[in-house]
Amino acid sequence: MALFINGIGCISPQKTFDKSDFLSDVKEYNNNRMVCVDADYSTFFDGGSLRRMGRLMKYGTAAGLMALKDAGINVPGAISTGTALGLPEVSQKFLKSLIEVKETIVSPSTFIQSTHNTVSSNIALLRKCFDHNNTFSHKAFSFESALMDACLLAKENTDNTLVGAYDEVSDYKYAAMKKTNELRSEPCSSLDIYGEKANGIIAGEGAAFFVLSKRETENTYGTFVSNKTFYKPENIEEIRSQILSFLKENDISPDTIDVVISGISGDTETDKTRIELNKNLFNAQTIVAYKHLCGEYMTSSAFAFWLACKMMKTQQIPSSIILENRNRAPKNILLYNSHKHNHSLMLFKA
Amino acid sequence: MQVFIAGKGVISSIGNNVAENFSSLRNLKTGVAKITILPTRYAETIPAAEIKLTNEQLAQLSGLNSSEPRTALLSLIAAKEAMADANIPNIEKWRVGFISANTVGAMDKTETIYKYYLQDPQTDKLLEEAPYDAGYVTEIVADKLGIKEHITTISTACSSSANTMAYGARMIKNNLLDVVVAGGCDAMSKFTLNGFNSLMILDNKPCMPYDENRMGLNLGEGAGYVVLVSEKVAATLSKKPTTTLSGYANANDAFHQTASSPEGKGNFMAMQGALQMSGLAPNQIDYINLHGTGTSNNDLSEGIAVQRIFGEVPKASSTKPYTGHTLGACAGIEAVYSILSIENKIIFPNLRFETKMKELDFFPVTILLENVEVNHVMSNSFGFGGNCSSVIFSKAN
Repeated sequence: MALFINGIGCISPQKTFDKSDFLSDVKEYNNNRMVCVDADYSTFFDGGSLRRMGRLMKYGTAAGLMALKDAGINVPGAISTGTALGLPEVSQKFLKSLIEVKETIVSPSTFIQSTHNTVSSNIALLRKCFDHNNTFSHKAFSFESALMDACLLAKENTDNTLVGAYDEVSDYKYAAMKKTNELRSEPCSSLDIYGEKANGIIAGEGAAFFVLSKRETENTYGTFVSNKTFYKPENIEEIRSQILSFLKENDISPDTIDVVISGISGDTETDKTRIELNKNLFNAQTIVAYKHLCGEYMTSSAFAFWLACKMMKTQQIPSSIILENRNRAPKNILLYNSHKHNHSLMLFKA
Repeated sequence: MQVFIAGKGVISSIGNNVAENFSSLRNLKTGVAKITILPTRYAETIPAAEIKLTNEQLAQLSGLNSSEPRTALLSLIAAKEAMADANIPNIEKWRVGFISANTVGAMDKTETIYKYYLQDPQTDKLLEEAPYDAGYVTEIVADKLGIKEHITTISTACSSSANTMAYGARMIKNNLLDVVVAGGCDAMSKFTLNGFNSLMILDNKPCMPYDENRMGLNLGEGAGYVVLVSEKVAATLSKKPTTTLSGYANANDAFHQTASSPEGKGNFMAMQGALQMSGLAPNQIDYINLHGTGTSNNDLSEGIAVQRIFGEVPKASSTKPYTGHTLGACAGIEAVYSILSIENKIIFPNLRFETKMKELDFFPVTILLENVEVNHVMSNSFGFGGNCSSVIFSKAN
């Protein structure tokens, strides 16, 4: 069952929180770590709770509330979210304090915010949403699982599910990624990562939420048709056949796809397969990329989901995201993302 | 469409497998004791329900390397037992999923590495950290189980593994999967021990859920899994499934980040939703495996909600005095206990209970009940963030 996307909210390393704007002023990063551009959180929370909330708690919750506001819905029918790492910054604050005081007296304030379900339950708390509330924490299947949950909920007679994902780069995880040479060597321009023959990714983060509904409204962005995950494909042939069978299951032929959102990350080694697939399967489609805008992180597909929504609604494709232009209007959009062993497909229809 | 339970597996402080757990449950043997495995300053002062095996010993039992997170070692032991118990013929022809829960992930690893990181932000120890997160634990276990079709991880605090069973059943009912190994795992960590301690909800004696003089919870560790199968798969089994997952519901209390509402609104809605799905009247539930952590707040809210739903409360007990609160694993472990209750016509007591709570009209089962008809069991799991889930297991016809 295709679902209408009736509200969106996105906070990312770009200025994505302004509803009327679509990447008119792209922010360039000259290092290997992209951080969220903050919205004005005082419009969402009072001063007291703002002080208590960690950074991700703030931007994650705000993105959820933005999507609800955009859809004109006060209380969603259900909330389902994905986060690969939960709330690492506050968790590590708690860990630091307990190590420093050798487990004597630690404040519970950071522990309270440290569980993976903190953001989804915070939205429930603020909106008094007593219904289904789920949090998936499985690497680059986190947002994908939340979407599947939302689709099942729609079949089970729940409407207006708020679905979203949120992750942050903590100093500690960033240090670990740096140590293992996962990151681009600095300086590097975020806007020039695809052409270069270089290894490593730019670390990113963000939160994006969507209201998925059974009915179309004046605010509808388009429809989310379906998604699929697959794990540890053996070779490029298997990926190819997974993509083709996904399209077939949804009664759509590859040539009717207009735009492919590619999970290309700028890491030459892992991009090989992605580029090869694009050449092989989608030589008549407009190919767009997004990780130069939000960085690489395990729930980045939620940013790509936002991108699909904006393209469907505006029927425009900003030049800043185009890798291959085949002059096609963004009607049928396919996302293919991969992160290590996790592969993800999503289909949208304007 | 019915979802059958074809197999079960468990490891906890009261046993390394289903048979050992059953024997301890029957013999009223608690796992709550002095902390001897986790290196913590509270070893002498706060008891916990640890599995008294080192990571090396758990590695031998599981077949994983001892350098893997303790959570994963526990997970694989219980999940393997569940799959072997289900013994599904020609399993390769079915779509099999692994939906696992945990809340601490590889925190035992991070705790150690982080200590070095604080001294030197560029320590080589960071080389070990990179892959660790909640999903890592699920993936290495899925690989060992040979499950590839569908894998994911749920982390909704203490209700996590109840939600894996619900999600798995929904995948089967919607014909997306045929077989799902569902449940959860969590190991003891300094992070959770100090966290719960900072909230002042740990009992420094063995816990006493539903007792007027209860002082808090004991933490525990373990893993528990069930194998959910479709009707089609169930028909191919040589060992006929004894139970079905007849109801489940997920609700949110929307009251406070860490405390339950006084009237237990989320608890009420979860129990009500699960009953509705199962089509059972409250008086058809023979036994409730309570969340019953032993904290002042949980037992009161849950107890009030139970009274509101049931009026006359059926036999009920918390098994946490045996196992401690195993967080992301508890609903998986208690699912196994609920099924044991149905299969063996037995109800396990709420150990150490002494005094009825003055706010409640009921008190839990205090002695082992044998030869009782147990057709339907409700199991509750409520957690941080107001996440409340209830599941119902029924005797298969």
